[in-house]
Amino acid sequence: MASRSSALARPPAFRGVGRSILLTLPMALWSLLMFTPSFRQAGRNQHIGAMAVILFMTGLFFLMMRTGETYRWRRIFFVALGFLFPVGFIAALVAERGTMSIPISRMVSGDTPFCFMVTPSLILPAAFAHTIIFPGSILPTASNPHSIAAMIGIWFAMTLVLGKAWCSYACFFGGIEEGFAAIPKRRRLHRFITRFGAQLRLIPWAILVFVVLVSAAIFEPVYCMWLCPFKAVTEFPAVRNLETAIQFGVFIALFVGLVVVLPFLTKKRTQCGFFCPFGAFQSLFNKINLFEIRFDREKCVDCALCQTSCPTVALSKESIREGKTLLNCMKCGACVDACKKDAAVWHLKGTPIAAKPERARLLFLYGAWAMATMFGGSVLANGVHTLIGFLPWK
Amino acid sequence: MPTRILSILAYTGAGLSLAVAFCVPFVLMGAFSNAVARAGLHIDAAYNGGTIARTIQRNGYRIEVYQPVQPRLLERIEPFVQVDFAPADALPSRVSDEIDLDGDGQPDVRVSFAVPTDPRAPLRGDVTALNAKYISLANVGGDSFSRLLVRTGNQIVLRVPMNLGAACR
Repeated sequence: MASRSSALARPPAFRGVGRSILLTLPMALWSLLMFTPSFRQAGRNQHIGAMAVILFMTGLFFLMMRTGETYRWRRIFFVALGFLFPVGFIAALVAERGTMSIPISRMVSGDTPFCFMVTPSLILPAAFAHTIIFPGSILPTASNPHSIAAMIGIWFAMTLVLGKAWCSYACFFGGIEEGFAAIPKRRRLHRFITRFGAQLRLIPWAILVFVVLVSAAIFEPVYCMWLCPFKAVTEFPAVRNLETAIQFGVFIALFVGLVVVLPFLTKKRTQCGFFCPFGAFQSLFNKINLFEIRFDREKCVDCALCQTSCPTVALSKESIREGKTLLNCMKCGACVDACKKDAAVWHLKGTPIAAKPERARLLFLYGAWAMATMFGGSVLANGVHTLIGFLPWK
Repeated sequence: MPTRILSILAYTGAGLSLAVAFCVPFVLMGAFSNAVARAGLHIDAAYNGGTIARTIQRNGYRIEVYQPVQPRLLERIEPFVQVDFAPADALPSRVSDEIDLDGDGQPDVRVSFAVPTDPRAPLRGDVTALNAKYISLANVGGDSFSRLLVRTGNQIVLRVPMNLGAACR
């Protein structure tokens, strides 16, 4: 009994309250700075949304500092992001055009909001034909503020800071499946994923190569038009013939299969880990990013807890033996938090492994959380004030 | 390289990375966006119709005729010519026009469509080709990127498909 109660007892706080508050202060000020424009706008709902997000983001950062855990608190933000993004986005679409579908007239007039997922498909046509194969506008317009230049600018700036961590701190689509993976239930298909992990990890790369080459050949954003599961919860080409009806069916099937059912069953981000070509593309930026997760081989007991906890199967027995994660690690911190021997550590490239892991974590988290607050925070605030708008006593 | 120097470089890089993070909303986002905007890129003509070749003035409205758009590589569109009627709110309740698309002084197509007063109402119309270069369309609406009659803002966009052989000449 005594051992059971000691097992259930909360671990001692990682850091004192005062020191945690001190470390959180810069993020609190950053949040206030990011949402100052929201307070200048008229509208009580906007103010409530902004205030709620400031408290939410600052509170979560405080808990990261206080507990020393990253994954749990980041996941709360990320799942909220995943579920509030469609709320705000769909509500705006329905209010503006009465439907989630994109009529061809809006594509022709360049009013399709740009989505970062299409970025890899644009590279070859842009490089060789100076052409962007997306029905948006390069510069912001009154009817389309999410212009291609603005969105690529945001993505590139954030990618410099985050690398592949984009997928765990900024991608609202990933938040949806992380939410379904977080629903408590016994994990299934674990053996299958462990056995075929190496092969499954190659699929996003294969899809990336396919999408980039075929998009360049047919001058169409193939992923957008045929393969994006998240069209089901954002916008999709209006069904006007058999081809667009099939596209719509594919979007729904991929969403249900890869974003809802498989994450729920496997407790993994199956779309991110085994399908997303943008995620594979983003992995390349891990090479130029300074932050990573490493394994202290002197402490590691090969218990594989880190491997089991990794949501995107970015760890293999071999990589752990080498003290590294695989290229597709999105720095969510799940393995570090799961490791009972403190063998999995945050690391700054160029420094000795496990020398100052908390310093590396802090340096990474300040940048990552600043980006999350700037980019995700506005999405969260938009979702919150949309939800408030639905309340009967608004 | 000695460990100490590597560590100094690493922390300097991390500091720079943080500086980049905090500069994103104020400087970098705009700088990168401007760089993309200045890169000389343009939207594929299949979406925006390409460039305007000439403008024909009518009584109270204008017709903008675009350069013909050809499919590239394996692009799945028919060649077409875009024609804009603008401003839409100055158009008569029924447009019936003969338009010279290739600029040779001879009309190439006869266009006929009703302009609904409700800007959200779907458009339908007919295009009769007056020579073999173009393809006639009956009851065309928002069918495809090459066969199109839609309203976008305060203009009406018509796309007339071309016969492949004629388009290649």
